[in-house]
Amino acid sequence: MLSLLGTLGLLSALLGSVLLTWRGWLAATGHTDRGLAPAARLVLAGAAVAMGAMQLALITDDFSLAYVANHHASTTPFPFNVATAWAALEGSIILWGLVLAGFTWMMLRRHSRSPDRLGAAALAVMGAVAVFFFALMLTVANPFEVCTEAIANGCAASSPWPFAAVQAPLEGRGPNPLLQNHLLMAIHPPMLYLGYVGMTVPFAYAIGALALGLPGVDWLRRSHRSTVVAWSFLTVGIVLGGWWAYEVLSWGGYWAWDPVENASLMPWLVATAFLHSALVQRRRGMLQAWNFVLVISVFALTILGTFLTRSGTIQSVHSFTQSAIGPVLLGFLLVVVVGSFALFSARAHLVGSTPRIDHLVSREGSFLANNLLLTLYAFVVLTGTTYPLVVEAFSGARVGVGAPFFNRLAVPLSFALLLMMGLGPVLPWRLAPPRLLWLRTRGPAVIALAAGLLTALTVTRIGWVILTVVLGVFVLACSSGVLAEQARRQPGRHEGRLRATLEVIRSDRGFWGGQLSHAGVVLVALGIAFAANLGAHAEAVMSPGDTVVFAGHTFIYESPFQRSAPGKSTSGARLTVTEDGSFRATLEPSANYFGADPTGVSTPDALHLPGGDIYVTMLRLDAAGVTLVFDTSPLIWLIWLGGGVVAGGGAIAMTGRRAGTMAPARQTADV
Amino acid sequence: MQHRRFVLLGLGGVIALIVAMTLVGLDQNLTYYLYPTEAVDRRAEFPDGERFRLAGIVVEGTLQRGEIHRFEVSDGGATIPVRLHNNPPPLFDEGVPVLLDGSWSGAVFDASEALIRHSENYEIPDRGGTGPGS
Repeated sequence: MLSLLGTLGLLSALLGSVLLTWRGWLAATGHTDRGLAPAARLVLAGAAVAMGAMQLALITDDFSLAYVANHHASTTPFPFNVATAWAALEGSIILWGLVLAGFTWMMLRRHSRSPDRLGAAALAVMGAVAVFFFALMLTVANPFEVCTEAIANGCAASSPWPFAAVQAPLEGRGPNPLLQNHLLMAIHPPMLYLGYVGMTVPFAYAIGALALGLPGVDWLRRSHRSTVVAWSFLTVGIVLGGWWAYEVLSWGGYWAWDPVENASLMPWLVATAFLHSALVQRRRGMLQAWNFVLVISVFALTILGTFLTRSGTIQSVHSFTQSAIGPVLLGFLLVVVVGSFALFSARAHLVGSTPRIDHLVSREGSFLANNLLLTLYAFVVLTGTTYPLVVEAFSGARVGVGAPFFNRLAVPLSFALLLMMGLGPVLPWRLAPPRLLWLRTRGPAVIALAAGLLTALTVTRIGWVILTVVLGVFVLACSSGVLAEQARRQPGRHEGRLRATLEVIRSDRGFWGGQLSHAGVVLVALGIAFAANLGAHAEAVMSPGDTVVFAGHTFIYESPFQRSAPGKSTSGARLTVTEDGSFRATLEPSANYFGADPTGVSTPDALHLPGGDIYVTMLRLDAAGVTLVFDTSPLIWLIWLGGGVVAGGGAIAMTGRRAGTMAPARQTADV
Repeated sequence: MQHRRFVLLGLGGVIALIVAMTLVGLDQNLTYYLYPTEAVDRRAEFPDGERFRLAGIVVEGTLQRGEIHRFEVSDGGATIPVRLHNNPPPLFDEGVPVLLDGSWSGAVFDASEALIRHSENYEIPDRGGTGPGS
C-alpha cells in the first residue's frame, strides 16, 4: 500500500520534472511561458508524498518495504525512526529529491513575479537535474521496493512492482548502531543536503545563462541568495558532522580527512571561493569566465561527493559495480562535467572580455589570492581523496592516504587564508597605496602581536597556537578597525557611536555578514589550534571506589552499571566528578550493543566546562576493573560555536539587499 | 608592468610548489591495506619495517593481554601472530574485526596501532575518526 503510494509520488515527481524541463525550455526560447507553475508544484507534491509514504512506513513499522525491513526495527525510538529515512542510500535520495523540489519551487515563485527567459531556462535545468534523481529512485535506487523474500531480520529479495507478492519479515534489521546513538545524526544529514542540493540553483542559473547566450552579471545576482543559503546550510552540516563524530565516536577528535568528510568539504571550499569571486564580478566586472568554472565545479563536486559516499567506492573500487548506483552516478557526473564545459567553451566568445586588474595590491587582488588558496585547498583534498581509488583501479592494490598528507598541506593553506581574511577587508578596490595599507594594518598588527605575546607568556609556547592567535586577532582587529572608521564617518554621529555602528552594518549587510563569517572562521581556527595542541591525556585501570585526579577534577569510580532497552544493551562505568570537594557531575562512559551485532559501540561521556571538555572513554570493563581514558579538549566548543557564527554571517548577508534593488555604487567598506 | 609580471611569476611558483608538494606527499603517505592471506603471499614486497595495514579478525582464544598485547589475526585463509605495542581501541576483544597499523618482524606482525572495523560505511578509525555519515 505505502509502496504504491510512494511509487506514485515518485512517478508524479518524475512527470513534473519532465514537464518542467520541457515547458521551461519552451519559455526560455521565447515560446509560451505557461505550464511552469503546475509542473513545479507537481514535482514538490510528488516528492512530498514519497517522503510522507516513507515516514509513514517507518513510523508504522511497515516491514513489507524492503528499505524499512533492512534499515529499521520496531525498537528504534523516535526521532531515529524518522531519521532512518535518510540513513541509507535509497531513502536519502528521497530527501535529496524533496530538497531539490523545494528549491525549484522557490525559484518558481520568484519567476512568477517577474518571468523572463533566464529564469525559465534555470527552471528547465532544475527540472533536468530532478529528472535524473527521480528516475534514479524509480530504477536502480528504488526506496519503495516491496520485500518478496523475508529473512529473520531483514529482507533478502525485493521487487519494484508494488503489487508483487509481499513477504514481510516480523522484525527489521535496524539502522546502523552508530546512527542511532545521538540526536545530531538526525539533524546533520538534512542540513548537509540543504547545502549540497542548494548548490544546484547557481548551477542552473549559470547553465541557463550560457545556453541562452546571456552571460553577464544577471545570473549571479539572481542566484546569489540561494548560494548564500546553501552555503550556510552546508557550513552547519559540516560542523554538525564533526560534532557528531566527537560526541559519538570515542576517539576524541572531530575530523579525520575521511572521504565522507572530504566529500562535504570540497564543495564548501569551492563554493566559498565562488561567493568571493562572484562579488568581484558584480563590483568590477572581472572573473566572468572563472565564475562559470567555479559554479560548475561546485555542482560537479556535490555529485562526486554523492558518488564517493553512496556507491561503496570508498570501501573498494571493485565493490562499486556491485550495485548499479555507482556507474549511474559516475555517468551523470561525466555528463555534467563534459556537457557543462562543452557548453561553456561553445559560449566562451560571449563571456565578456575581462577588464584587467589594475593593481594586485587591492581588494580584487586579495580576492584573487583568496580564490587561488581555496581552489588549491580543494585540489589537495580532491587529490588525496581520489588518489587511492585511482591506484586501486589501475594496480588492484588497496591503499589509503593518511591524515599527515592532508595536514601538511592544509595547515599552511589555512594560515595563508587567515592572513588574507585580515588583509582583504582593509584593502580598497582598484589600488591600495602602501601608505594607506600601513595606516590600516598598523593598529591591528600591534594588537595581534600583543595577543600573541600574551598567549606565549600565560598559556603556551607552542608556535602553531601562537600563530593562530596572532592571525585570528589580526583578522578581528582589521574588521573592527574598518567598522570603527566607517562609524566615525557616518553622518549624524552625534547620535552615538553604537547607533552609528549599527547603521553602518545595516547599510551593507552583505559585507558585514561576510565579516561575521570571517570571525566565525577565526573561532573555528582557535578551537582547532587549542584542542589539537593543548590537550592532556591519561589512562587508568580502576576498581569501584578508586579515585583519579585529572585536570583539576577528582573522578571517583562508583560502580559498573548495566542497562537494557529494546534492541539495545548498555554496560558502562558510573563516575562521580568532584572539584575542590564539591560535586560536579556524574559521567557514564559506556559500551552499547545493538541488536545482534557483536561489535559494541563505545560511547564516551564528557564534562563540558568553559575551558573545554574533559572527555572520558571506556576502553574495557571486566573482572579486573574498568580501563578508562581521560582526555581534555581545551576550548573545543569554539569550533561548534564558530561554525554557527560562520553560518549566522551567511544569514545576515542574505537578509541584505535584495537582487534588483541593489545600488551598484553604494558606499561600502571600500573607501 | 614589470612589477605585475614578477608577482604573477611568484603566484605561478606558489601554485607549482603546492601541486608538486601534493603529488610528492601522496606517495610518501600511501598506506597499503592487506588481508592476512595477501600479507603472507606478498611477504617479499614488504620487508621487515615496511609499514602497511593488516585487516582481519582476532582469532578466538589467542588474546593475551599485557604490556604488549599478543593475539592472532585471520581472514579465514592465513593466520598471522601479532604483537600490539599500544593500547587497543575501546571494546577490543576476541572475534572482533580489526585494522592494524604496523610492519613485519620476522613471522610476526608488530602493530603500533589497532582500530576496530565496524560494518558498513562507518568505521571508527585510529586517532583519525570517521566522518559525518551520509
